[in-house]
Amino acid sequence: MTAVDYLSLLISALLLAGIYAAMAVGMTVIYGVMKIVNLAHAGFLMLGAYFAFEMYDRFHFDPILGAVAALPVFFVFGMGVHWLLVRWLPKSDTPTLASLLLMFGLWQVLQNIGYLKWGNTAYSIFTPRSLSSIHIGEISLPKDKLVVFAAAVVSLVLLQLIFHRSWFGRSMRSLIQNPYAAQIVGVDDERTSRLSFGLGTAFAGFAGALLAMLYPFTPDFGPPFLLRSFVIIVLGGLESISGVALGALILAVLETFSINVPLPWYWHGWNSYYLPASYQPAVSFVLLVVVLLVLPKGIAGLLEKKWRVT
Amino acid sequence: MKSSSQMRARLCGIVVLILLAASLGTLAVQAQDTITVGVVMPTTGREAKPGQYQKEGIELAIKQINDAGGIMVKDKGKKLLIKEVFYDDGSDSAKSASLAERVMSSDNATAVIGGYSTALGEAESVMPDRYQTPWITAGAAATSIFSKGYKYTFGALSPIVLLGDTTAEFLGSLVDQGKLKKGLKIALVVENTDHGVDYVNGIQGWISKHPGYFTVVLNEKFDLGGTDFSGLLQKVKTSRADIFLSDAHLQDYITMQRQYLQAGLHHQVISYGARGPESDARKALGQGTDYILAALWWSDKLPYPQATKFVSDYKGFTGRAPDSWYAATAYDAMRILAQAIQAAGTLNKSKIRDELAKAQLKGSLLPGQVLKFGPNGQAGYPFLVTQNKPGDKVDIVYPKDAATGAPVAPMP
Amino acid sequence: MAGNLVANFSAGRIRLLLPLLLLAVVLSLPATQLGPNVVRLLFGTAVWITCSVAWNLLGGFTGQVSFGFAVFYGLGAYGAALMINAGYSPYLAFLVAAGVAVLASFLVGLPTFRLRGPYFAIATIGVGETTRVIMNNLDITGGASGLRVIEAGAFRQLDHYYTAIVLAALAVAVSALIAHSKFGLALRAIKQDQDAAADLGVNPYRSKLWIHAIAAAFTGMAGGVYARYHAFIYPGDVFAFQTSISILLMPVIGGIGTVWGPVLGGVIFGIVEEELVVHFPNIHLLLYGSLLIMIILFEPDGLMGLLRRLLRLVRSKPKREHPRSPDPEQVVWGSSRAQGH
Repeated sequence: MTAVDYLSLLISALLLAGIYAAMAVGMTVIYGVMKIVNLAHAGFLMLGAYFAFEMYDRFHFDPILGAVAALPVFFVFGMGVHWLLVRWLPKSDTPTLASLLLMFGLWQVLQNIGYLKWGNTAYSIFTPRSLSSIHIGEISLPKDKLVVFAAAVVSLVLLQLIFHRSWFGRSMRSLIQNPYAAQIVGVDDERTSRLSFGLGTAFAGFAGALLAMLYPFTPDFGPPFLLRSFVIIVLGGLESISGVALGALILAVLETFSINVPLPWYWHGWNSYYLPASYQPAVSFVLLVVVLLVLPKGIAGLLEKKWRVT
Repeated sequence: MKSSSQMRARLCGIVVLILLAASLGTLAVQAQDTITVGVVMPTTGREAKPGQYQKEGIELAIKQINDAGGIMVKDKGKKLLIKEVFYDDGSDSAKSASLAERVMSSDNATAVIGGYSTALGEAESVMPDRYQTPWITAGAAATSIFSKGYKYTFGALSPIVLLGDTTAEFLGSLVDQGKLKKGLKIALVVENTDHGVDYVNGIQGWISKHPGYFTVVLNEKFDLGGTDFSGLLQKVKTSRADIFLSDAHLQDYITMQRQYLQAGLHHQVISYGARGPESDARKALGQGTDYILAALWWSDKLPYPQATKFVSDYKGFTGRAPDSWYAATAYDAMRILAQAIQAAGTLNKSKIRDELAKAQLKGSLLPGQVLKFGPNGQAGYPFLVTQNKPGDKVDIVYPKDAATGAPVAPMP
Repeated sequence: MAGNLVANFSAGRIRLLLPLLLLAVVLSLPATQLGPNVVRLLFGTAVWITCSVAWNLLGGFTGQVSFGFAVFYGLGAYGAALMINAGYSPYLAFLVAAGVAVLASFLVGLPTFRLRGPYFAIATIGVGETTRVIMNNLDITGGASGLRVIEAGAFRQLDHYYTAIVLAALAVAVSALIAHSKFGLALRAIKQDQDAAADLGVNPYRSKLWIHAIAAAFTGMAGGVYARYHAFIYPGDVFAFQTSISILLMPVIGGIGTVWGPVLGGVIFGIVEEELVVHFPNIHLLLYGSLLIMIILFEPDGLMGLLRRLLRLVRSKPKREHPRSPDPEQVVWGSSRAQGH
């Protein structure tokens, strides 16, 4: 591969990292503040995608507009879900099985609602932008992916601002650090949790709408993105939003390059051996396990609690 | 823990279990004036769309047969209506097998049509011989299903190896016509399933029998449901191939083709195996689907009168035109089953099986206009190659006698 | 441990009688001409019960929630399949299946049991999916095309049925034995507070490894039994994330941490789930998800907890806890010293 090819690949990886960051951000917020591993995240992504589709199909909203419109709608939706279901969960400073299963049940319900409303057609959003790219020499920058990348950057910056410059952000951060101490100093646990859940859901819907620009979707759209979000959360973390960006970047680069970089392999006579493309999904999961095991303190504060000498 | 309340809890549990067991003892008694045909298809999950189409094809056939009074069964002395028992297996192979068993044992089906996609077909194909019930699949074409010496399995789809072979043969004919140069390089990027593997075998088999025409420079498999193919497409770019051949499910086809176009790739010929003219793809890719080739088991552009009639009947039945080939093979599977039952003159499953083995459905929608099963139970009619043309049109470009338009190669 | 057992048996002889009665009923059911469909359903249920009880050993008794049990199920299935295809007796194949699963459990457990709570769970997801992708690519076992199991001799459904029932019964028996033993106490201590348990002389790491091995053995055998019956397995089915989730859900629905809870959960999965799919194909996910949500919100101890509450009502004892406050026996991961409810 020439240098240009490598550069092209790197840029693809960067754009992919943007996609991954956008989709993981929602899950991170909810996990950080409430220690809930939100399996329904896949369901929210799916609903966000369909929301963008409906906006596009009925009102001819460009999906970017649809994504922005999704923010308030899903914020309210998220708060509703919290009020109805999530607030009854027992509180803990580490994730509970109950929260996991509740979210899983919710995901199944959302999936079914998706099937009932939209059936099993693979919908996609096709705009004049969908197939076009900006070409710089041999490198191509698909416009849709650039948009998603920009949106990801904006949402990360926005979240960073909210976290560090607003009163609400301070409440969230205090809950992340120590929920009990936070209550002692007067943070309204329930209200902040509700707002956080709404925020996380809003960004999930936003990400789903963006994903709708790039991929075809059906009601069981979600599991590959969900699993990757897991990996990114573990890699990145929650004390800083930049952890998500970093995690997304690492994952994207590894996935994209793993099958293009020759690995010297004795059995092939030290010739270049490329990892077969069908092993690509394993890369993210092996990364997940390795990071969990090997990096005791690490990229994020998330890891700091888990490592103990047994 | 109090032992007596624990005991009572257990007692409750046992009572519940016994009640459940009792409620299970429902033996379905087949009504004397209907023929039960089981249909086990995915209408939710990954294979939902094609499964839905196949279900519709079968139901259209059943409706037409029932409207004409049913199937004449000689030893009952009258025409019997068909009763369909449908189960959605959710694209899950374990459920598919279990539901096939259920329909064969509990619902006492005379025959079963089912198994859309290779995995579901393989899972279900274990049951027909076990329960001595004829089973036809109109959606699974992997040869391995039919190479186990089973007696009761039948397949209405030609083998995928032949699909690959036909694609290569068509490309070879383009070389012979001078539209393509000799010795072009092919990049093969297929899904990691039986389907993909058989496809590659078909292509490579043809190439080795016709040296000098093409060489394969890349042969990769990808996992289903991919999100990003940039790494893979980069490999395709690096291989400097002239022809890009893939084999994928609908969603991967859409995703990959989008990323292919966004990356600015270009080849002289593109094909996605048995996918091409699907309307969902058209909607998702616009003119990005132009000139893509597909090797299919059927196309609504076939010039047979029975095909045209089927298209209009299907439109009347479902409100839309048939999408690609899915419904047609299922429709004919039901028709050949009805024909075999009539020829057998009885509802005895073994006799029906014998009739199926030698049945010939004349006036079939499928290429060649005859559907019959080979000695291993699988049909073997020729494939069509279609090419998407600009303006949402689709042309059959191979074989010559069924062609509706000329192939365009290399792609502009 | 032996002394404990003796004491328990003589004191609760009736406790043994009821389950044995149930076993006798189930074993003699085929004689009542219920038909192959019922036998099939019960067979499937027995396989699920085995997996469910096995998972509960690690997840319910010890509090280590694993999302990767499909690895053992799948490896057991493939192990047994290869053995049967090579001509060996299926019962030997099942033992081999157990062996392979146990080996895998050590490979998985040795590194991951150093992790706590959710991190362990997430690591098991990673292991599970990695295994699936690798198996999808291994050509010797058929890769993504799957593997057929060809057994010499005719298919005798009752053979499979009895094997499954005996396996399930064995699993429940072992589970009950462990629950009432000192080992079981150690496991419960680990679940409640691993560090305190260590302070009291329990070796959490070793205990976790052993219980993991036992759980894996049963799950592997269940996978083997399944493979033999269905005669076709492929990675997308036996190694799927969905399978791991199913195995996890059963004990939760039935009553995590109890002996009979997983059995109830297995019954629901084996019988109710199929009836749901058959009769409510359009909304079965909705029903299932809603059931799960209601269980989590109203009765985290699952159906067993519900039954116990009903019994308390029946015996007119006042309800002691507010339905929404956390049950002290609820599974909470990690060190919960700071939990101050």
